[in-house]
Amino acid sequence: MDYVNALLESLEHSALAVSIAESKWAFPIIETIHVIVLTLMIGTVLIMDLRLLGLASAKQRYTVLQRDVLPWTWWAFGVAVISGCLMFITQATEYYENEAFRIKLFLLLLAGINMLVFELIIARRAADWDQESSVPWLGKVAALLSIALWISIVFFGRRVGFTMLLGRN
Amino acid sequence: MLALVRWLSETSTSSAIREIDGLIPVLQTIHILAIAMVMSSLLMIDLRVLQVTKSQTQSIADAAHRFETWIWIGLVLLAASGATLIIAEPQRTLPNSSFQTKIVLIALAAATTYALRISLRRNAEFFSVSGKATRAAKLLAVSAFILWCAVAVAGRFIAYTQPT
Repeated sequence: MDYVNALLESLEHSALAVSIAESKWAFPIIETIHVIVLTLMIGTVLIMDLRLLGLASAKQRYTVLQRDVLPWTWWAFGVAVISGCLMFITQATEYYENEAFRIKLFLLLLAGINMLVFELIIARRAADWDQESSVPWLGKVAALLSIALWISIVFFGRRVGFTMLLGRN
Repeated sequence: MLALVRWLSETSTSSAIREIDGLIPVLQTIHILAIAMVMSSLLMIDLRVLQVTKSQTQSIADAAHRFETWIWIGLVLLAASGATLIIAEPQRTLPNSSFQTKIVLIALAAATTYALRISLRRNAEFFSVSGKATRAAKLLAVSAFILWCAVAVAGRFIAYTQPT
């Protein structure tokens, strides 16, 4: 575990981390960007999930909707990851010890696995159910899991701000 | 203002909300999810109005209809969760300059979103023909999105601004 601590400490003492931590407005600005992109990311994921459940956009073909929506999800996700990392390095050791933060990362991993399983097993045969208003039950399970996971990720993300020593809530 | 803050924070509703352990992060989570509904729905309408969306299978009227409902549901959720947060911690918000800026921005953003809705309703049929109406709708679409982003910025900055 010494490795981990050494790595976390070197992140925390890096020039980038120090300059963010010392600046009055850098952290709030990065955090605001994080919030805006995460709302876009989760909102667009929900659009796809509701389509899979047959609850919204039911008349749209899945593959067509996916082409319009998912690129924005990935852009927003990329910016959320970058802004998240920038916040993390300012207090790497404390985030690492923070329970809410650990749960959030674990849930992000689960959301990633859920997405991979969906893409590799269910979406691969999208041609079969593309025009149907709702999809095979496995696809619906993946959609429900996705909704539950992302809501929990927002919750634990918000909990981080309340449980850190220098927490901003 | 101070009298209002004091009175509000001393009401039994206010202390009841504060005393439920962990309720404030839950309310903030609902608030963020409702922002996701509003921002993403508006993004989808904007992309269709700006013709960025590759599929032209959905008309602008259909796209607006599909996502508009979610904007209004989101706004109601935002107002409800926001009001509850204000009642719980009035001293955190009401005297805070970021919060006051946020309220002004909300009024502007809501008005612009409503104007966009009217413009899309009116122009749904002849959208492709009339250049002027198209430009107005595009301008409204972009302005509404920027204004809601500004609302989010002011909202997050409440946590970093000392109440005056």
